[in-house]
Amino acid sequence: MKKLFVLLFSSFILLGATAQVEKGNLLIKNGTVITITKGNLEQTDVLIKDGKITQIGKNIATPAGVKVIDASGQFVMPGIIDAHSHIALDGINEGSNPITPEVSESDVINPFQIGIYRALGGGITTVHAMHGSANAIGGQCETIKLRYGTFDPEVLKMDGAPRTIKFALGENPTRSHGEGSGIVPRTRMGVEFVIRQAFSEAKEYTEKWNQYNKAKLVKGFRGAPPTYSYRHEVLSDILNDKIIVHCHSYRADEIYMMLKVCKDFGIKRIVFQHVNEGFKVAPELAAQGAMASVFSDWWAYKFEVYYSTAYNAAILSKNGVVTSINSDDGEMMRHLYHEAGKTQKYGGLNDEEALALITINPAKQLGIDGRVGSLEVGKEADIAIFKNHPLSIYGVPMFTIVDGVVRFDREKDPDDMRLVVDPKQAIETATFRDKLSNQDHCMEGAEFILDSELFNANKK
Amino acid sequence: MVEKRFIQQTASGIVVLLVCSCSLLAQDEKELKPVTRTYAITNVNVVQAPGKKLDMATVVVRDGLIIAVGKGISIPLDAVVIKADSMYLYAGFIDGLSRAGVTKPKEEANREKIKDPGNPPPDRAGITPQNDVRNSLNASDKSIEDLRNVGFTVAQIVPYGNLLPGQGSIVLMGGKSADQMVLVSNSALYSELSGANGVYPNTTMAVIAKWRELYRQASQAKSYQSLYASNRAGLERPGNDRVLEAFYPVIDQRIPVLFKSEKMLDAHRILMLRNDLGFSLMLADLKEGWPVANKIKASGIKVFLSLDLPEEVKKDDKKSDNKSNKKADSIKAKEVAKPKTAADLEKDALEKRKAEAIANYTSQASVFNKAGVSFGFSSLSAKPKDIPANLRRMIAAGLSEDAALAALTTTPAQLLGLSDRMGTVENGKMANLIISDKSYFNEKAKVRYVFVDGVMYKQEVKEEKKSDPNAKVDIEGSWSTVTQTPQGSNDGKVIFKKDGSGYKGTISGGRMPAPADLISVTLEGNKLSYTYSLSFGGNTIKVEVEATVEGDSFKGNATVGPRGSFSIEGTKNPKN
Repeated sequence: MKKLFVLLFSSFILLGATAQVEKGNLLIKNGTVITITKGNLEQTDVLIKDGKITQIGKNIATPAGVKVIDASGQFVMPGIIDAHSHIALDGINEGSNPITPEVSESDVINPFQIGIYRALGGGITTVHAMHGSANAIGGQCETIKLRYGTFDPEVLKMDGAPRTIKFALGENPTRSHGEGSGIVPRTRMGVEFVIRQAFSEAKEYTEKWNQYNKAKLVKGFRGAPPTYSYRHEVLSDILNDKIIVHCHSYRADEIYMMLKVCKDFGIKRIVFQHVNEGFKVAPELAAQGAMASVFSDWWAYKFEVYYSTAYNAAILSKNGVVTSINSDDGEMMRHLYHEAGKTQKYGGLNDEEALALITINPAKQLGIDGRVGSLEVGKEADIAIFKNHPLSIYGVPMFTIVDGVVRFDREKDPDDMRLVVDPKQAIETATFRDKLSNQDHCMEGAEFILDSELFNANKK
Repeated sequence: MVEKRFIQQTASGIVVLLVCSCSLLAQDEKELKPVTRTYAITNVNVVQAPGKKLDMATVVVRDGLIIAVGKGISIPLDAVVIKADSMYLYAGFIDGLSRAGVTKPKEEANREKIKDPGNPPPDRAGITPQNDVRNSLNASDKSIEDLRNVGFTVAQIVPYGNLLPGQGSIVLMGGKSADQMVLVSNSALYSELSGANGVYPNTTMAVIAKWRELYRQASQAKSYQSLYASNRAGLERPGNDRVLEAFYPVIDQRIPVLFKSEKMLDAHRILMLRNDLGFSLMLADLKEGWPVANKIKASGIKVFLSLDLPEEVKKDDKKSDNKSNKKADSIKAKEVAKPKTAADLEKDALEKRKAEAIANYTSQASVFNKAGVSFGFSSLSAKPKDIPANLRRMIAAGLSEDAALAALTTTPAQLLGLSDRMGTVENGKMANLIISDKSYFNEKAKVRYVFVDGVMYKQEVKEEKKSDPNAKVDIEGSWSTVTQTPQGSNDGKVIFKKDGSGYKGTISGGRMPAPADLISVTLEGNKLSYTYSLSFGGNTIKVEVEATVEGDSFKGNATVGPRGSFSIEGTKNPKN
C-alpha cells in the first residue's frame, strides 16, 4: 500500500513539473457499455489511445504495452458531469457588488482540494466550478476535469470549453445587497433592474467603442478613446453569446422574467440552475431553448424553495427541456447516480433518460457535448466503471478514468491523498474534513454581508 | 533665536560668559563629525565573494568605500584598527523584501462604513500604488537594528497595505533619516494578492480582475497622454490619475512589479497575470515554491525565497517517553507489548507527512539552486533572530554555504541592479560589511561588527544577559509591564502564581480585551519566559516574552508573532 502511494505521489510530481495534461492508453474489456447516445452494448471492449476513445467493439486485440481493465460483469459508462459545483476553488463569492462579471473562477482554481479526489470516487470526471449566487450577475465559472494529482491549476481546466458565467435571481442577491448593504437590489424587481441596467450600459459601451474604432479609420482622426472597462467588456461578450449564462433561480415568475430579459437583449444561451419551479414553465423554457439543471429532491431550505416537486426533472425532460441533475455540494456530488435514479421513481424516466441527466445533458449545458458525456469513438476517454448498474441502489463506482488515465481505483485507494500538507497544521486537526460538506456554498464568501448590522436590523 | 534671547536677557558686560554659552549651545545643535571615517580590519578571513576567500588579510574602509583588500596592505595613519584575528568578513547581506523601518499605519477602529461596498474609494480598496515607502520610513525604528544585527546592510522595503500598497525603495540598514537611508527610490511597484476586507475587491479573483483592469486603463491613459503631449491642438485634455500614473514606469519596464508570493498557488496566479499583461516581475517571500522552480526558471522572472521556515517538530514525545520509561519498568514492558492501534498508525502517517512538508519547505532553496534558478532571500515574514538558524537548516537540507552566501550577497545585488556597488568585498564597493567571530554559518558564530555605508556598528558580545541558572528569585505576585511598540508604550499586568513546582499566571491590560491565562510560564534561575495569545481582528497571535529577573524588576523582549520583537520591562507591585 505504502509503496503504491509513494509511486502514485512521485508520478504526480512529475506531472506537475511538466504542466501538461496527461493522456493515457487503456483497454477496458468485456463490460456492459452504456453509451447513453447509442444504447447499451453487452460484453464489449473500449479502446483508448492518447486520451481518446478510438474503438468500441467486441474482442478488440490488446495493443502492445496497453494496460487492460477487466470489466466483466461491470458497467462502463461516461464519466459523470456535475453542472453545478463549487469544488477546487479559492473563493466563491465576490459578494461586495451585485454586478461582478469581470471576476473569474479560472483565476483561483485550487487543484489541491481533497474534494476533487472524493468526487472521483463518485464517478465524476467533469465539474462546472461556479461562482456563487450572492450577486445578480456573478463571476465567470470554469469547467474543469478532475485530473487530481496535478500541482498546476492550469492542468485542471478543460481547455477549449466555452466560457460560462453565474447569474442569480431571488433571495440570495436581495438579501446580500438589499438587506445586507442597503443598495439595489432589495426586491425581485430590483434584480431585474440591475441586470437590465448592466446590459444597457454594456450596449452603450460597445457602441462607443464601435464609433471610436470607426472614426479612427478616417485619416487625420484625433480623439480620445472611451475608458476601458473590464466589467463592460465581459458583459458585451455575454450579449454577443460568447458566454453561456448559468442562472441561479427558483420561482417560475423570476424564471419567466429572465427569459424575457434574454429575449430583449438577444441572449440565446442560458441554463437555469436549481429551477425548483421549472415544472411550471417547462414549455416556455423549451420554446426558447433554455436548459435546466436541477436537484432531484432537495427543497424547503428557504422560503423561495417551498413550492417544489421530485417530479421536476422528469416534467422538464418530457417537455423537451435539456435537463441535468446537479449537486451544488461536495457530498451529494459523490452519488449523483443515485440522484438520477430518483427520477425513475418520480416520473418514470427510463435508464437512458435518467443517465442522460448526469452525462450528455450537463455536457450540452456546458457546451462540451461534442467532447464528453457519452461513449463514442472520437470522444475524450472520461469513463466511470461501476459494479452493478449505476442506477441500482447497489451501484458502486470502481474506476474513474479521465483522458484515459485512471484517477480513482477503489482497490488502490490510499488513506492520505492530500497533495500538499500544511507544515504548520497540528496533527490533531489534520482531519480531512474541508469545508465542502453540507453547506450552502452558493453564499460562501458573502457571509460578511449577511453578518452586517444593517442586515440584522432589516431582519427585525 | 535662542542666542538672541539669551543676549537680551544677559547683562551685556559679561562677555566671557556669553562666549562660553554660545559655544555650548552651538555644540548642542550641531552634530560632531566623526573623528575618522577610515577603518582597517586586520588579520581577518575575507570572504570576498562566494568561494573566494583570502586568509589573514586586511580590509581598509574610507569614507564609505572599500579602498583596499589584501595582504601586506599598509594601514593608513588615520584608521581605526580592528584586530579581527581569526574572524570572518563578508559583504553585507541584501534583503529582497522587508518592512524594516516602515511604520505600520494605525488601525482605525471606527473607520467610516462604506455605503456601497461595491464601489469603495481607492485607498479603502487597497489601491494606493502612488504611495512612497519613504514617507513611512522611520530611521530610528528598532526593526532596522534587528535586521542589521544578523548581517543585513541593505533591504528593499515596501509600505503596508493590501492589493497595491505603493512603491518600494532600496535602503541602507542604517542612517539618521529616511533620505539618508535611501539608495534607490521607487525601486519597484509592490503588490499582494490580498483583498480589501469587505469591500470590492474582496476576494483573490476580484483582486486579479481589478489588477487587469487598472493595468489596461493605465496603458490606455499613458498612450493618450503621449499622443496629447506630441500635439495638443484639437484634443481633449487627458485627466490626471495618480493611481494609473503609478503604473507608467511599470508599463515602460523601467521598474518591476514586486509581488509577495508565499504559496505555490500565489506564484501560479501571479505568473498568469504577468503572462497576460507582460510586466517585469519579481516574486518575493516564496515559501512553498519547490514545485514551481522549473516554471519560474522558464519564465525568467526574478525571485526571492523566504527566510522564514516552519518550526521543526520538537522531539518532546520521545523525551517524555523516556522519562516515563525510567519511572517504572513494569509500565514500560506493558507499553512495548501494547500493539499500535489504528489511530496510532494514522497519527504516525500524518506526522510523517507533516515532517515531509517541513522538509520540503526547508529544502526549497536547495531545489532552486539545483534547478539552476538564481535567487535571493527575503526577510518579510521571518523573525530576524531566527534567520541564522534557518539558513543553517537550509544548508543542512542540501544548500551549499557558497550558494547560501550568494543568495545573501552577489545574487540579490544582481537582481536589484546593485552589482556595481555591493555584493562583494572589493576595492571601490560600498563599505557594507559583516564581521563574525566564526564562519557566519557556524552554529556558534556571533556577528561582531556590521558596517553600513562605512559606518561601524559594533555588537558587544553580551554575557548571556546576566542570566544565572542558580539564582533564586520569586516571581509570585502581581507585576506591571511596559512594552515599547512602534505605536507607543503599552501597559499590562501579569500575575504569577505558584503551581506545583512551577508557575502559572494571567495577563490583563495592554491590548487584551479581557484577562487571559498564560499559556506557559518557565523560570530557570532568573531567566523568566512566558507566552500567551493575543486576539487581533480575528487573528490569534502568540506572544513570547523572555526576560531576566533582578529583584523586583525584569527586562527583556516580547516577540509578538510576526510583528516583531519589542522591549519589555516589568516591575513587581507591592503587596497590599
